[in-house]
Amino acid sequence: MSAENISMFNLAVAYLLLIFPLGLMLWYGIPGVGKMLLAALRMTLQLLFVGFYLQVVFNLNNGWLTGLWLLIMIIVADLSIIRNCRLKLKRLGASMFIALLLGTAIPAFFFLGIILHLPKILEAQYAIPIVGMILGNCMRSDIIGINSFYRMLRKDEKSYLLSLAQGATLSEACRPYLRDAFQAALAPMTATMSTVGLVALPGMMTGVILAGADPVTAIKYQIAIMLAIFSGTAITVFAAIRLSMRSSFTGYGILDRGVFRE
Amino acid sequence: MPETAMKQYGDSLSVKYPVVELQNTTVRFGDKTVMDAFSFSLQQGEKVTITGRSGSGKSTILRCILGFITPTSGAVFIDGEKLSDYSVWKLRSRIAYVAQEPDLGSGKVRDIIKRPFLFRVNAHLRDNMSRLDELFKRFLLSPNLMEADSADLSGGEKQRVALISAILLERKIFLLDEVTSALDSKSKRAVVGYFKFRQDISILSILHEPGNEDFADRIIDLDSITPRSEI
Repeated sequence: MSAENISMFNLAVAYLLLIFPLGLMLWYGIPGVGKMLLAALRMTLQLLFVGFYLQVVFNLNNGWLTGLWLLIMIIVADLSIIRNCRLKLKRLGASMFIALLLGTAIPAFFFLGIILHLPKILEAQYAIPIVGMILGNCMRSDIIGINSFYRMLRKDEKSYLLSLAQGATLSEACRPYLRDAFQAALAPMTATMSTVGLVALPGMMTGVILAGADPVTAIKYQIAIMLAIFSGTAITVFAAIRLSMRSSFTGYGILDRGVFRE
Repeated sequence: MPETAMKQYGDSLSVKYPVVELQNTTVRFGDKTVMDAFSFSLQQGEKVTITGRSGSGKSTILRCILGFITPTSGAVFIDGEKLSDYSVWKLRSRIAYVAQEPDLGSGKVRDIIKRPFLFRVNAHLRDNMSRLDELFKRFLLSPNLMEADSADLSGGEKQRVALISAILLERKIFLLDEVTSALDSKSKRAVVGYFKFRQDISILSILHEPGNEDFADRIIDLDSITPRSEI
């Protein structure tokens, strides 16, 4: 048993589902119709491009090509974090990239090399979707974590400076903000883990079932990927904050507002 | 011992040295000059009050000493050592700073006072928490306040809690930014009396209105020593 194919005509029919949000937006005068249509168009083009590209990558199944594609995925995620957190690419791009690389590579290696025990870790069929799932979640958590860390630092500047005046090192003075940011970044994943299966069937499990595997195999994959994602997000958020601290404070421990795009 | 020799011996005992020094310090934010080639020194054991109108740069002086602002030119020295991004971490731990409207953070007052002892540099002073009762009494604060939430404190109570927290850190240099501004006259007398009594510390305090501070040995009026629109 394998997933039923969707014909191009039927896929086009799927766009009819947009009638509901579009209709509601137009009826109530909710702004953003153009943005929504543009997002739908972008999603279509991006996925079509990726679909064709992945087909080539899967057929060739070359480790270098897969590795290159994963690298491109990480760079795109890096740029997205920089844009969403309104940071300057030159100042913090490298820190965010390294954090994403660590947060993705460690759990992905664990998943592909140890849990699945693949003879070839960069096997395209496994590596690309697994890394993609870990990376997507790392990116979302990182945006929450980085935003929370720097927003709280700016808001609580007096309290932060008082810690410095009381003799705290940079690391000691930043600890409460790092703790809160870490908590905020991991909260969505913790909530997802505690309700998974009860509220909704998660994406990977659905995919494995659709591909024809039995539900028990799908559940095993789901448990392993959720643990990998949780671990990856924790590594990414922690590494992103710690690494970015090296570039975002002056030698005197004062937050350098020049790292933000105001 | 001959009288002259005794005098010399006595003088050598009372030799004072600058614990804080600003040398030709200029601070500019964009086009605005907040401090222009300002020089100043605070001697060991001395108590100096700086006054001046709003925006005259009083708080900027304290912020420069703490390394919260890096001067555009000039230099700051603490205990004879130049403030730099290397030395600032060590030198800050010799200073106690109390802001005008202290942001104590959230939580119980006792926990807030305990917090600085979590920093490695203050860990050996943890036993000073035993002085809390005495200091609360001295600054006319009810002992019940120790268990209160910081959000429930009045401005005057916050100022005194911040002062107690600073005192427990046993620093020799105190930077006080209008720390009695929210106090009633009785509490103000208690605070001023305490600092007047302490001969072992040097104090640089900031005051908006001159005349109320009783512990100052020397008062510097920024308005009278600097050109208009600058310090």
